[in-house]
Amino acid sequence: MSNIVLLNSEEHKTLKIRTEYSAELGDGQRFVPVVLNEFQFLVAHYPLLFSKDAGTGAFYCGAVLGFDEGENLFLGENDVWRPLNLRRMPFYIAGDEVAIDLAHPRVGERGEAIFTEAGEPSQFLAATVGALREVRQGGETMQEFIATLLRLNLIEPLDVTLAFDDGKRQLQGLYTINRDVLAALEDAEVLDLFRRGYLQHIHFMIASLRQIANLANRKNHLLLRQSEGLAQR
Amino acid sequence: MDSPVKHVVIVGGGTAGWLAAGVIAGRHQGRIKSGGFTVTLVESPNVPIIGVGEGTWPTLRSTLEKMGVSETALFRECDAAFKQGAKFAKWTTGAEDDFYYHPLMLPQGFTQLNLAPHWLQMGEGLSFGDAVCPQGQICEDGLAPKTITTPEYQSVANYAYHLDAGKFAPFLQRHCVEKLGVRHVLADVKSVDLEENGDIASLTTEQAGVIEGDLFVDCTGFRALLLGQTLGVGFKDCGDVLFCDAALAVQVPYETPDAPICSQTNSTAQEAGWIWDIGLQGRRGLGYVYSTRHSSDDEAADVLKRYIGAGHEQLSFRKIPIRSGHRELFWKNNCVAVGLAAGFLEPLEASAIVLIELSAKLIAEQMPANREVMDIVAARFNEVTHYRWGRIIDFLKLHYILTKRTDHKFWTDNVDPDTIPDRLKNLLKLWKYQSPWFFDEFDRLEEVFPAASYQYVLYGMGFRTEVDPSDNAAMAMKARQFIKENLDMARQLRTKLPKNRDLLQKIHQYGMQPI
Repeated sequence: MSNIVLLNSEEHKTLKIRTEYSAELGDGQRFVPVVLNEFQFLVAHYPLLFSKDAGTGAFYCGAVLGFDEGENLFLGENDVWRPLNLRRMPFYIAGDEVAIDLAHPRVGERGEAIFTEAGEPSQFLAATVGALREVRQGGETMQEFIATLLRLNLIEPLDVTLAFDDGKRQLQGLYTINRDVLAALEDAEVLDLFRRGYLQHIHFMIASLRQIANLANRKNHLLLRQSEGLAQR
Repeated sequence: MDSPVKHVVIVGGGTAGWLAAGVIAGRHQGRIKSGGFTVTLVESPNVPIIGVGEGTWPTLRSTLEKMGVSETALFRECDAAFKQGAKFAKWTTGAEDDFYYHPLMLPQGFTQLNLAPHWLQMGEGLSFGDAVCPQGQICEDGLAPKTITTPEYQSVANYAYHLDAGKFAPFLQRHCVEKLGVRHVLADVKSVDLEENGDIASLTTEQAGVIEGDLFVDCTGFRALLLGQTLGVGFKDCGDVLFCDAALAVQVPYETPDAPICSQTNSTAQEAGWIWDIGLQGRRGLGYVYSTRHSSDDEAADVLKRYIGAGHEQLSFRKIPIRSGHRELFWKNNCVAVGLAAGFLEPLEASAIVLIELSAKLIAEQMPANREVMDIVAARFNEVTHYRWGRIIDFLKLHYILTKRTDHKFWTDNVDPDTIPDRLKNLLKLWKYQSPWFFDEFDRLEEVFPAASYQYVLYGMGFRTEVDPSDNAAMAMKARQFIKENLDMARQLRTKLPKNRDLLQKIHQYGMQPI
């Protein structure tokens, strides 16, 4: 159960926020929505793909963190870019104000202070609120980006079956950039994509496909460690 | 000598006219854009459109997709809803629990194995429909054939549409004129002007002068202005086989705005015919199709009122005459008929719109390059179309002759051998010993009703084909596996698919994705 309230420098003055990349702290997610501004950081680690919202059918873009429900293969690696949507937790935006989920496992007596001794927002809070705003504005930009790609038929289903040590997994309901359509675009459309800054994001998405294999390697290493662990027992 | 076919003139602006225009113009976009080909639709500003039927076949999905129509727009603008087949109630015995489905999905593994003899050997228990196809159960649960994440025109379970024919024709018109470059002329045809060889040279109109053309498509409805009235092609009545010759139609509102929407056509047998019950988004469309030889109009109205139950007093009934039959020829000289001008059969199995599609597609694909080769194409078109009408008549009649009802003369008259076409009689004789499948005669490209449809109706109505267990033995394992796969799929789909109305509301709110 969450307990979301408006952030208040008096009531919440002493609260601290844990920032580790951890499943116990809510990072156990295999697909996290992302925004265009963080593509350049995300592309170094994660496959960036589209999926559809189960309730509306609308496309959204996300980073793939794992293969199975609740699986994040990057946990514990604090030098890896955590997607803004994880990084902003446990904060929310309510209108123009910042809200906090007091029941979130990150909230407590350990970690980064939200407020300074003087009751001013800490640097940590300022950075997190920045992330929060980027997530909100980035959502609208992402919708425009996706609408443009759909209009140009640039999105296609991704068909990948991966073999793991414990069996096969089919990546389902994921979509990527159609490179054949991209290569055949009219000059004016390419220029338009470039001027709007979309072309680099398209290429980030294409480049990120390589991360599927890296992610699969992480998974296989994990399985190997688990089976070694069993053998030692 | 060489007289190229460059200008197609369609006369009539109903469902047939605009579908034909869309299919032909869609297929020939390249030539239309380069200016070498035109499609013109001439429509009277004064003649009202008869909305032909509200039921369609899954073929309409690919037809509309090829025309470049947005499926989301179809749902939003034509009051359209999903149709996953037909539920036939009270056709066999007339009892309350007497029903079967003619679904739109093929039996499981149909291309590899004929499950019918295996199901027959299993004995009582599972109905044929439920043993081989999940769609009957999906419909009984009131579920949609896809989810909001399924792209436009794609399905989880095969589907067609129920739609408001009065909205469908204007919807197609907008698309044809705005997107496909079809010329729309609002004018009354004063006279049809002939060449010496009997070809149509032009139309003289009240408002738009003379309109010339190389190929004329007659979509003028029952009157068949070009093919019938002008070129004198006769009409072949088939009322001796299909008795229903009138329909009493009515629009019924839902009791509440969130009432469930059936995702199948309900066809319920009555004293002297049957009632269609079709769920659109905003209302239901109902109609009693009956034989005036077996029922008076007043009796028919009573039957329909009884079916509707409370609230029928506020509704207005519309009587529609049905003349079952078709033209003796469909393409003569440079004129081809599509839609009601070609013929009409009672709406059991919703064959009207699918026949328009098939005819329009054949014209579009086989568009003769010039007048010299047109007669060759015309002969083919006549042969294929004649075959199709014949098979549809047989298939409709099949629903009536398998009945065990003896409660009204309508039903006993229907099983009189003198009213059954010889071809159908022979097939029934044959099917006592072998069930319809591949290698049967329904093997044409774009067969209207494939062997699977015959299976669903035959075994749905209790027909028995003799089976030899030793003949089944070799494939028995495979058959059990297919039936199990089907039952697993049914279970899975029943948990995964949303309610029909819920999905339709989502399509209105969010639209469907193109991919």
